Amino acid sequence: MKRFDLIIVGAGPSGLSAAIEAAKRGLNVVVFDENEKPGGQLFKQIHKFFGSKEHRAKVRGFVIGQQLLKEADELGVKVVLNATVIGLYQDKEVVVRIGEEVVHYKADAIVIATGAAENMVTFKGWTLPGVIGAGAAQTMMNLHGVKPGNKVLMLGSGNVGLVVSFQLMQCGCEVVALVDAAPRVGGYGVHASKVARCGVPFYLSHTIVEAEGEDHVTGVTIAKVDEKFKFIEGTEKHFDVDTICLAVGLSPMSQLLKMAGCKMEDNPKRGGQVPICDEYGRTSIPGVFVAGDVSGIEEASSAMIEGRMAGVVASEYLGYIEEKERDEELEGLSHALDGLRQGMFAPKNRGKQIEETEEGIPISTNLLQKGYVSDAEIEHFPGVTHVVGVHPVIECTQNIPCNPCQDACKKGCISIGCNITSLPIAVPGSKCIGCGMCVASCSGQAIFLVDEDCGDGTATVTLPYEFLPLPEEGKKGTALGRDGKPVCEAEVVSIKSAKAFDKTNLLTMRVPKEYAMQARFIKFA
Amino acid sequence: MNTVNDRSRDIGPFVPMDDDDMLICRCEEITKGEIRRAVHDGMWTLTEIRRYLRTGMGLCQGQTCSRLVKGIVARELGVSPAELEPATSRVPMRPIEMRVFANEMTEDKEADAV
Amino acid sequence: MKKTAEVVIIGGGIIGCATAYYLAKLGREVIVLEGSDHIGNGGSSRNGGGVRQSGRDVRELPLVMYGIKNLWPTLSEELEVDCEYHQDGNLRLGKTEKHREILTRLADNARGVGLDVRMIDGDEVRRINPYLSDEVICASWCPTDGHANPLTTTLGYYKMARRMGVTFITGEKVVSLGIIKGHVRKVVTENNVYEGENVLVAAGLDSREILTSVGIDIPMTNSLLECLVTEAQPHMFDQMLGTAEADFYGHQTKHGSFVFGGSSGLERYNKDNGMVSNSSKTAPCICRGIMKYFPDLADAKIVRTWAGWMDASSDGVPSIGAVDELPGLYVACAFNGHGFGIAPAVGHQLAQLITTGSTEISLHELRYDRYKAKI
Repeated sequence: MKRFDLIIVGAGPSGLSAAIEAAKRGLNVVVFDENEKPGGQLFKQIHKFFGSKEHRAKVRGFVIGQQLLKEADELGVKVVLNATVIGLYQDKEVVVRIGEEVVHYKADAIVIATGAAENMVTFKGWTLPGVIGAGAAQTMMNLHGVKPGNKVLMLGSGNVGLVVSFQLMQCGCEVVALVDAAPRVGGYGVHASKVARCGVPFYLSHTIVEAEGEDHVTGVTIAKVDEKFKFIEGTEKHFDVDTICLAVGLSPMSQLLKMAGCKMEDNPKRGGQVPICDEYGRTSIPGVFVAGDVSGIEEASSAMIEGRMAGVVASEYLGYIEEKERDEELEGLSHALDGLRQGMFAPKNRGKQIEETEEGIPISTNLLQKGYVSDAEIEHFPGVTHVVGVHPVIECTQNIPCNPCQDACKKGCISIGCNITSLPIAVPGSKCIGCGMCVASCSGQAIFLVDEDCGDGTATVTLPYEFLPLPEEGKKGTALGRDGKPVCEAEVVSIKSAKAFDKTNLLTMRVPKEYAMQARFIKFA
Repeated sequence: MNTVNDRSRDIGPFVPMDDDDMLICRCEEITKGEIRRAVHDGMWTLTEIRRYLRTGMGLCQGQTCSRLVKGIVARELGVSPAELEPATSRVPMRPIEMRVFANEMTEDKEADAV
Repeated sequence: MKKTAEVVIIGGGIIGCATAYYLAKLGREVIVLEGSDHIGNGGSSRNGGGVRQSGRDVRELPLVMYGIKNLWPTLSEELEVDCEYHQDGNLRLGKTEKHREILTRLADNARGVGLDVRMIDGDEVRRINPYLSDEVICASWCPTDGHANPLTTTLGYYKMARRMGVTFITGEKVVSLGIIKGHVRKVVTENNVYEGENVLVAAGLDSREILTSVGIDIPMTNSLLECLVTEAQPHMFDQMLGTAEADFYGHQTKHGSFVFGGSSGLERYNKDNGMVSNSSKTAPCICRGIMKYFPDLADAKIVRTWAGWMDASSDGVPSIGAVDELPGLYVACAFNGHGFGIAPAVGHQLAQLITTGSTEISLHELRYDRYKAKI
C-alpha cells in the first residue's frame, strides 16, 4: 500500500499550513480535499483579514489561500482535490475516493483539518427553499458567481452574519434586516458599522417567527424576544424577502476522528463534538493530530497557526526534527496564537459583557444594539480628533488584535503601540498628506479622511468603497450617516483605485461642512 | 461513557406543542413531535432516537439535524445537550456509489493517483 | 432505583427485551440490565433483518417456525411500532453446482421438519425477482420467510415492556453472578448489586464471562459481521435474499434503502481497536458481490456501513434454556448471527419456562451443556 509520512485531510487554512511546516522539514506530505478548489473557506473570504503582519493582516482571505497554496506547491506538497476521504480505519489507513475509484493509503501520521459545518435553527417554514446558510450564500457568490437572491434577511450578528451581509450587498442583493435573538451584536463592531451605514437596520433581541411562502420563501416575520427568548406578542414585523440567510454558528466536522477512535468530548465552548487534544493538536491516538475548526471553532488566522503547530509536532513525532527545535518553534507559534486571542472577543471573554475599553472608554451601546456608533459617542474615541486640513478619523472603538493602520501611515499619524489590541489614536501634531493608505489598509473599513472645512462651506470625506460599478466624478448622491439614514446631499469628488489599495477604492465626497462628522457613506439613486 | 441510567425515572407526561409538526430531520422527514414522543417512549439516547426514527440516517448523515435533535431530546429529558453523546460516525463520510466503492484502485496505480 | 425483582435479565438486546415483555404480560416483575448506554446495542441493531426459517439448523427450526406462525404476524400491532415485517419469501441463491448441492441438502433437511422449502431453477428465480443477474442458476425458495426492521422491533419490545412496568437500567455492566444457598440470585454490576429469584443471561458474547463467575462455560467466540446501507431506492422487491455460501444477504427496506450484509473471507482473523470497527476491505467486497447479483444497483449510493460482533458457537446454534445444575439461572446466547428472526419465539418460550417451568417448544437440543468432544 502506498505510504506517506503525513496525510492531511482538508486543504483549508489549517491543513495547508500544517502541510507547509511538515514539508519544510522534509516530510513526504499529501493533502486530500473533497472540494474542487483548495483553500477551504479562505477562497470565499473576499474581505481583508485582521491581525498583525505575522497573521497576514490586511490581506484578503482568498489571497492568503493563494499564498499558502503556492508555498505548499513549492515545497513539494501534493494537494489532491476532488478527493473525499470516506474513512479512517485502523493502523492509520485512509480510504479516499478519487474520481471513480477508491484508494487505500497508509500514513505514519495524520492531521485532520476538516473544518466545520454550518448550524441551522428551526422556525416555521425553515425547510422552504430560500432558507440557506450564510456560508452557503458565500459559496454561491464568491466561488460560483451566483447571486443567492434579491431581497435577503440575515439571521445572526456574529462576524459571519456581518461579513456575509456586506458581501450580499456587494453582490447586488438588498439586505432588508439583520436580526439576532441575542441582545447585543456578536461580531466585530467595525463589521457591524460598515453594514449599518449602508442602511441595513439591525434588530437585536429579535428572531424569526416564520418563513412564508408556498414552494419558496416569499416573506418572513420576525418578532422581539424576552430574556428567555420567548416571543413578545404584538412586536411582529414582516419583510418581503426571497432569501433568508442563517448565520447561527458552526459545528466541528469531527466525524472522522470519532470514527478513528479518538477520545471525544462535547464542549459547547469549542462548538460541539471535538477530539480531546492538547494545545498543539495531539489527540488520544499517537500520530493523529488536529488543527483548525475541527478541534474548536475559531477563525482562519488562528487555524493557520494551529495548522503550523500540528505540522511541527508531526515533524518531531516522525523524527524529522529534534525536540528542541520543536519546542522553540512551538513557543513562537504559541506567542502568535496568544496575540490573536486577545481583546474583547478573545475566547476567554466569550459570554462576558464588557462595559468599557482597555483605555477606560465606555463601549458604545448603540454599536451593540443597533450596529453603529452614534454621532455623540464617536467623539469619545482617541482616533477621532478635529484638526485643520485633511486628517484621518479612525472609528475603531473596540479592542481587537489588529494593527495594520499604524504601519500604513508613513507619516506617523496613527499609533497603536506595542499592545496590539489598543485602540488606534490620531497622533497629535502629525501631518496627514491624504494619501489614503490608512483607509485602504483598515480591514474594518473604519478609517476616513476628513477635511472638515474646505473654506467654501463644504467638507470632504474620503471613505473606503468596495462596490461596483464605481461612480463617476461629479456624480450626485445622498450621504448616509453611521446609522444608514440620509443626512445630506453629496457629490463624488474623486475615486482613487491603486494597486497598493488592494481593490479598496477611495471615494471622496463633498458635503456641507456641518455634516463632515456625520456623513459616512454615499448612496446613489 | 457507560453511565447508569434508570429508564423508569419520571420525566413527566408528553405535552403536545404547537410546533410538533415542524420537520427536524429533512432527509428522513421526522418531525419535532415524533422526536419528543420517542423520548417519552423511552428513547433516551441519540443512538436510540436514530434507530427508532431514522433521524440523521439520510443522505446528509445528520450533518444538519443532529444538533437540533440533540437540543430537543435534552430539553425533553431536562438535561444539558452536552450530556448526550452523539450517535456513532460511520464510513463512508460522504455517500458513494456502489460501483465506485467496489472499484478499488490496484496497487500499481496508487502512486500515480496523487 | 429498583434493585430486586422476580426476574433479573442481563442484556438489553432483543432477547432480553422480548423476554421482559412476555414476562410482564404474564404479570412478572422484571429488571433488565444493559451494559452499554443504549438498548439493543449489540447484534440486535447489527443484523440483516432476516426473519427466515430456510437455511437454519433443524435444532432451532421449530422455535423460529413457531414465531413466524404465532408471533410475527401481529407483532407490529402488539408493540405499537412498525416492525416492517414482510413475509414475501426467501431466495437463497446459487451460482455453481456446488452451491446447488449445499442448497439442496439444506432444503431437504428443512422439509424433514415440515418446512415448505423447495429448489427452483434460474428462470423461476428471475420470475420471482426479475432484477437478479443471469449468473444465478438456482435457489432454494421458502415462501413463508421474510424480513423485518431489527431496530424498531427491538426498541418496540423495550418500549412496551417499559410501559408495562419493566425496569430498564442502561450503562449497568454486570461483572458477576452470586449464588445464595445453591440458587443463583445475585447480580453484581460495576455499581450495584441486584437480586432476583430468577436470572437470565442474554448478554451476547459477554454472557461467557458473566457465566464464568458461577462456573458455567458456554464455548463461544466472536466473529465480525459487516453490513452496508444504500440511500432510498424506488421499490424493487420484497423478498429476503441470501446465498449458498452465506457471503451475501439482504433486502430492501420499507424506507427504500437496501441493507446488505456480506463478508470478505477474512472475518475470523480481523482485529479491532477496542470498538467494533469495519474492515477497510469488506465494504468494497460486498459491493462487488452485490453488483454481480444486481447490476441495476451499481449507481445506488452507500450511505452507511457498520459492523457488529456475532457470538459464534462451535455448532452454529444457540444455547437457550435453564441451567439445570444451578437453579434460578437461565441462558440465551450464542445466536451465531441469526438471533433476530428467532427472538420473539425465544423470548416467548423463555417467559413460559421461567414462569411455569416448561415450554411449548422443546429446548432440549439447545441445552447449554450439549458440547461434546469429537471422539
